[in-house]
Amino acid sequence: MAKNKTIKVDYLARVEGEGALYVRYDDAGVHEVKLKIFEPPRFFEGFMRGRDFREAPDITARICGICPIAYQMSSVHAMEDALHLKLPPELHALRRLIYCGEWIESHTLHIYMLHAPDFLGYPSAVAMAKDHPAIVQDGLRIKKAGNAIVSLLGGREVHPINVRVGGFYRAPRAVELKPLREELLHARDMAMNTVRWAASLLFPKFEREQSQQYEFVSLSHEDEYPMSRGQIASTRGLSIPASAYDNHFREEHIEYSSALHSTLIERGAYFVGPMARYNINYALLSPLVRQLADEVGFPPFCANPFQSIVVRSLEVLYAFDEAIRIIDGYRKPDAAHVTAEPRAGTGYGATEAPRGLLYHRYQIDDSGKIVDAKIVAPTSQNQKTIEDDLRLMLPKFMHLPEKQLQAQCEQAIRNYDPCISCSTHFLRLKLEQAPRTGV
Amino acid sequence: MSDWVVISLGNHFRGDDSVGPYVLQRLRPQIEPAVPCIENGGDMVNLLEVWKGQHVCLVDAVATEKAETGAVLCLDGLAEEVLPTLCTTSSHGINLVEALEMARIMDALPRSLRIYGICGNNFAIGEGLSPRVQAAAETVVKEILTLLNTHTGGAPCMSNH
Repeated sequence: MAKNKTIKVDYLARVEGEGALYVRYDDAGVHEVKLKIFEPPRFFEGFMRGRDFREAPDITARICGICPIAYQMSSVHAMEDALHLKLPPELHALRRLIYCGEWIESHTLHIYMLHAPDFLGYPSAVAMAKDHPAIVQDGLRIKKAGNAIVSLLGGREVHPINVRVGGFYRAPRAVELKPLREELLHARDMAMNTVRWAASLLFPKFEREQSQQYEFVSLSHEDEYPMSRGQIASTRGLSIPASAYDNHFREEHIEYSSALHSTLIERGAYFVGPMARYNINYALLSPLVRQLADEVGFPPFCANPFQSIVVRSLEVLYAFDEAIRIIDGYRKPDAAHVTAEPRAGTGYGATEAPRGLLYHRYQIDDSGKIVDAKIVAPTSQNQKTIEDDLRLMLPKFMHLPEKQLQAQCEQAIRNYDPCISCSTHFLRLKLEQAPRTGV
Repeated sequence: MSDWVVISLGNHFRGDDSVGPYVLQRLRPQIEPAVPCIENGGDMVNLLEVWKGQHVCLVDAVATEKAETGAVLCLDGLAEEVLPTLCTTSSHGINLVEALEMARIMDALPRSLRIYGICGNNFAIGEGLSPRVQAAAETVVKEILTLLNTHTGGAPCMSNH
């Protein structure tokens, strides 16, 4: 007798995000997929009201312990837009350098601690480390180099304090960057090996049919692989400034979740993150990264989300390459920041967090107080796409034993490195079976 | 005292979860730079790097129904079992128990690990500590200062278990 089956991931309350997964399916197909996320950033928007505009980078950085730089970057860009501030190239380069550090930290954590155990058949990074200590050791060493960048430019590794509206509180001297360069050179070699290792993993075969293909969305800039500048672009022709975000994207409240689903108006789900950046901006990666992608046979366009681990490894390599390039061309700016005087206005900022596009919008009054704030995190933008992946993927994997099928669901969510509890390896999973009723 | 380090776990903006950073903030003027104070915002993997070979005091909030708000659970992180309730600060990477296990495997354990878990009851979005949690935090500050002043890590834990 056919049975309804349910995959449930228990609700967990966590600081950086709270999530749950519910999938109902039977032999006839998938009937219901609910990825429930309860995102703290929504509350931060209310939290920001009445605060001084200068506080935005330090307060929003607290939204996430893993990607504080992303929140700082989107908030300062939005504030500088509102204040009509233009930064000199030296300060832009420094911001790009600290963003490289965060990409390295965040991606490496995900590659080695979260995603690798899926591919190697372990329930956790700890279990994996017992058999593969060298792999974990490599990950820790590479991540340490990212920490070093954030620590030097941000003042400390966690929740850096040196970023401000208009630039930095202090700009380093060129001589301070020299020892960092040596560390990065060594780590870049390790990052190259990470690409080779990631590309050698066995990936579940999953690519969407023509009519269901992803719309990838990321920043796009004519001169650089995007981090904090450029238009918001998509693989279906979208090309808009951050100030037009609200005209093209909509947040919808879904009954089963307090989180908001982001969709492209009249288009639906879209896909942000490393794969989107890679697919839209491949030509802007450094020659070394493209050469290595070619060496391991990885194509310039990737449509299998299970291969996102390879894309992340290529972005880690790029971040090292880019950081070294910036250090080599570094000239200490005349001033660490451009003076920011308050004035009434609205500002928009979109930058590329490790997990994808992070949009901030602020309205400030003439005394510099924040009157309104909007923050759209990458995970809320990918929610619908993750659900769609599960819906489309499950029929292809129905032949797997139930336990393996559950693991496949979790892995599919982790493809997106979502900033929620259910992306981690310490969730308790429950499979419930019940006789089909009705019909 | 240079082989000591004090680490806090927790989020400034989640009510009583901010007790770790609060304790660190109270200690900083009294012990830095001799004793580094490190705030960990959730990336437990970093613990392996910062605590390896060090004597460590780690302060975190605890959510439990088995103890009253403001109770301080003090334990030896290397000898006693660290309960999952002490590991609620991160949804990324690994948690504290896993960090300890990982450190064992990677030969990155601290020399000693004194964990202070302060029981809270309000972990909602927002700033500020519950009064009893704040009072407990002051007790922990004094205990850590006493511990550091002994230089040996041999001071008894004065908190209620």
